[in-house]
Amino acid sequence: MHLAQLVLPLLILFIIAFGLMKKVAVYEEFVEGGKEGFATAVKIIPYLVAMLFAIAMFRASGAMEILLSIIAPVFSLLGIPAEVLPMAVVRPLTGSGSVGILAELIQTHGADSLIVKVAATMFGSTETTLYVLAVYFGAVNISKTRYAIKAGLIADFSGFIAAVIVCTIMFS
Amino acid sequence: MLNYLWAGMIILSVISALGYDINDEYVNRYENGKRYSAEYSLTNLENKAMVNIAGQTFFFSLDKKTNQQLQIEVSESLPENWQIIAEKQSSKNKQQLIARILKIDDAKKQIHFSLPEVHWVKINAVATAAFDMASFAVKLAIGLAGVMALWLGLMRIAEKSGLIHYFVRLIYPVLHWLFPKIEKDHPALGSISLNMAANMLGLGNAATPMGIKAMQQLQEINKTKDRASDEMCMFLAINTSSVQLLPPVTLIALMGVGVSELLLPIILATSVSTIVAIISVKMYIRAGKS
Repeated sequence: MHLAQLVLPLLILFIIAFGLMKKVAVYEEFVEGGKEGFATAVKIIPYLVAMLFAIAMFRASGAMEILLSIIAPVFSLLGIPAEVLPMAVVRPLTGSGSVGILAELIQTHGADSLIVKVAATMFGSTETTLYVLAVYFGAVNISKTRYAIKAGLIADFSGFIAAVIVCTIMFS
Repeated sequence: MLNYLWAGMIILSVISALGYDINDEYVNRYENGKRYSAEYSLTNLENKAMVNIAGQTFFFSLDKKTNQQLQIEVSESLPENWQIIAEKQSSKNKQQLIARILKIDDAKKQIHFSLPEVHWVKINAVATAAFDMASFAVKLAIGLAGVMALWLGLMRIAEKSGLIHYFVRLIYPVLHWLFPKIEKDHPALGSISLNMAANMLGLGNAATPMGIKAMQQLQEINKTKDRASDEMCMFLAINTSSVQLLPPVTLIALMGVGVSELLLPIILATSVSTIVAIISVKMYIRAGKS
């Protein structure tokens, strides 16, 4: 993906050049804009700690395996290969955890297997929902999240189903 | 919902960790208290003897007054359950198993020893994970501070030069459909559109600062400050489902999966999840009104 690597420098160039063209005091405005960065990052910390420590405990305790064994039958009813189930469960919780699961699947099933393709599609097509929620709502001190998490998880789930369907049609 | 999800994770963690540990104690999975024996031979050194375990030679003192130990270096050649014990032991040095010598049988030239006992593995792991992550969260946030400053700086330039304004005008029909209650010239629309553009281009580290900025601007027009507004929920749902035209495939490619054939499935799946996210938020908003 050389295109993606080009986007970033070109974008920075474009913003600065366009600013100069419009006679903006680019350096001063850059510094002025950047000032909030640190305060915002600090504000997020308690929300991140709350979310990440709970997820870390959940993964370390083995509760995940119990949960997986409970929902595995539901998945096989829907025709989803049970091997990709850990990816579907972990993806909304942790980014690094889902990378680990992808690596594990590649090792056991091979990079060309349908299972790895489904899992990689799942990985690439959704975000770490709980992390995004902690960061975005944390930055504005919102703790009453209403239906945001439900909507996010419903979307994740439909993305996973779509990944299974599309990959099965395309690759098998 | 989040309260229950969060508390549920923590409570389930502790209960299942306790369950695993009690079961391990019950079946004595780590063979606590088991006596091992090995034959030793004398060395030239005074009061020193050596013993051969799994092809390696370890020395110990024959002096019966001292508290005798056998320091076993951990290696692949040790029995598998010994390696597990070394990994799970409470001692910080996982490369060494300190066995306690229980008895030295001079007549048979045998020593009897026991390995370190292993208890409460999962509970300890859970506690360690919790505290490790707590400090990791700070590292993550501080890392974000620099990236935030960079992108917020660039955004400010783009805002002053009018670039954002042009961009918002371009995609205003879409923005208006997603966020009907935000006025046309509100700055939040600028940040939202930049965030969406960064997401589509796969610029993850640009999308986050822009998204946070957008949230802050949405908070300005939010009536209840501790409670998420409909606009915030919509914006969050779009972000968690990640609209990506150039998905972050570099990582997948690095792991050796053929990426080019996965581009189409990823774009399709991410579109489905985004559309579902938008529809479900719209439905929640409608349900909230009635």
